[in-house]
Amino acid sequence: MPEARADTLAVEVTDLVRAFGARKALDGVSLELPQGAFLSIFGPNGAGKTTLLRVLTTLANPSKGTAKVAGFDVVADAVELRDRIGLISHNPLLYPDLSAEENLLFFSEMYGVDDPAARVHELLTAVELDHRRLDLVRTFSRGMLQRLSIARALLHRPEVLFLDEPYSGLDPHAADILDQLIASVRAQHTFVMVSHDLTKGLELCSHALILAKGKVVLFDSRDNIDADEFARTYRSTVGMGVA
Amino acid sequence: MAKAPARVSSWRQFKAILKKDIVMELRTKEMLTSMTLYTLLTLVIYQIALSQSGSGFDIRLIAAGLVWLAFVFTSMLGLNRSLVHEKDQGCLEALLLSPVDRPVIFFAKAIGNLIFLMIVEVLTVPIFAVAFMSGRPIAGPFWMIALSAVVGSIGIAGVGTFLATMAVNARGGSFILSVLFIPLMYPALLAAVAGTSAVVLGGDGYQAAFWQSVGMGAGIDAIMLLAVFALYEFVVGA
Repeated sequence: MPEARADTLAVEVTDLVRAFGARKALDGVSLELPQGAFLSIFGPNGAGKTTLLRVLTTLANPSKGTAKVAGFDVVADAVELRDRIGLISHNPLLYPDLSAEENLLFFSEMYGVDDPAARVHELLTAVELDHRRLDLVRTFSRGMLQRLSIARALLHRPEVLFLDEPYSGLDPHAADILDQLIASVRAQHTFVMVSHDLTKGLELCSHALILAKGKVVLFDSRDNIDADEFARTYRSTVGMGVA
Repeated sequence: MAKAPARVSSWRQFKAILKKDIVMELRTKEMLTSMTLYTLLTLVIYQIALSQSGSGFDIRLIAAGLVWLAFVFTSMLGLNRSLVHEKDQGCLEALLLSPVDRPVIFFAKAIGNLIFLMIVEVLTVPIFAVAFMSGRPIAGPFWMIALSAVVGSIGIAGVGTFLATMAVNARGGSFILSVLFIPLMYPALLAAVAGTSAVVLGGDGYQAAFWQSVGMGAGIDAIMLLAVFALYEFVVGA
């Protein structure tokens, strides 16, 4: 089993292609992201953002090229890699007929979390859901589901957290809570977030990526990005359509 | 140098998935209720179909086929439901994101489905016996019927879980289970019906016929489960 080195890039993608038949959802994507970075990925619908996230989280295999996360190849070391990543999606990825506590205990077992009861209690307290720990998840509001989803993603202390439009469908209060939660764990993880919200994405990121038609239009450090110029580039891709 | 975390045991993950499925089913009773009701309705249809057959007709000639027909259609209904739970709110993705070998997911889901199917079978057989077999005793011991049911049900649960996984991942997937299940299960069902029929009807050498059928059924189960085991990664993965 490979071991991740402390100086390993958090994400390393080289000439990545993911094809669905003749259509290339990702077409020669390459990027390198240092550990501790926060990458925001922008692009129009069908640009390949979610496909890139699915490849990096081992939910889809590349057709060509390579991708490594935390030093682990997404194909060859997929099982080892899954120990080191977490995903927060607009879909909560939780069982509606289990309670909040049962959901987290189940995923603790799947990840082999030490002292699962204590860890679950700690996370439920952090996301302010400890008082609802015995309630079925199907009774939760959208904001509560998203908070519990964050707790699920953090259970096994992943190195890299992937966020797929995490603010989608949240009311302003729930979005504020999500902001606070991300800020509270920001220093401990590398983040890769897909977003349509340019302001929020640029506010959070250390690196930004624009995808269109499966290709990289722009990838740079936030320090080198002028927000107005970036917005113009982003808007020019919106009419480019599906890859 | 950061050390890779120790791998959690597959046995622990298997138990967690199986326990989760059982807890959720006991809580919702979706599969068990729908499967039991469907079986009872099938028996009612049998009653209607056989009501004109006359008192001289020996139901034992077709009893094994009727029982397995009920099991097959009932299992198709339940198996379709078993993976739908995982699709709700992206749960299957959450499961696939965890560091679990895909065959562990398959075996846990298949064992869960086998348990639920056998619960329904345990309820069905006595009702069938009372409704249709009164005054017509079976020739062999009951444990032989049970063994035949277990061997046949292992095949149903294994292949059915595989196809149900394909169904939830494919567009228009609900057709997959209904179209592919019976062709794939045909040899195993033939063996199961033959084994059960031998015990019901008796006659010279029925035990040899029974063991031959059970052996054939077990062999077919093993081949199909190995094939499904090898292919499951492709079905749930990319």
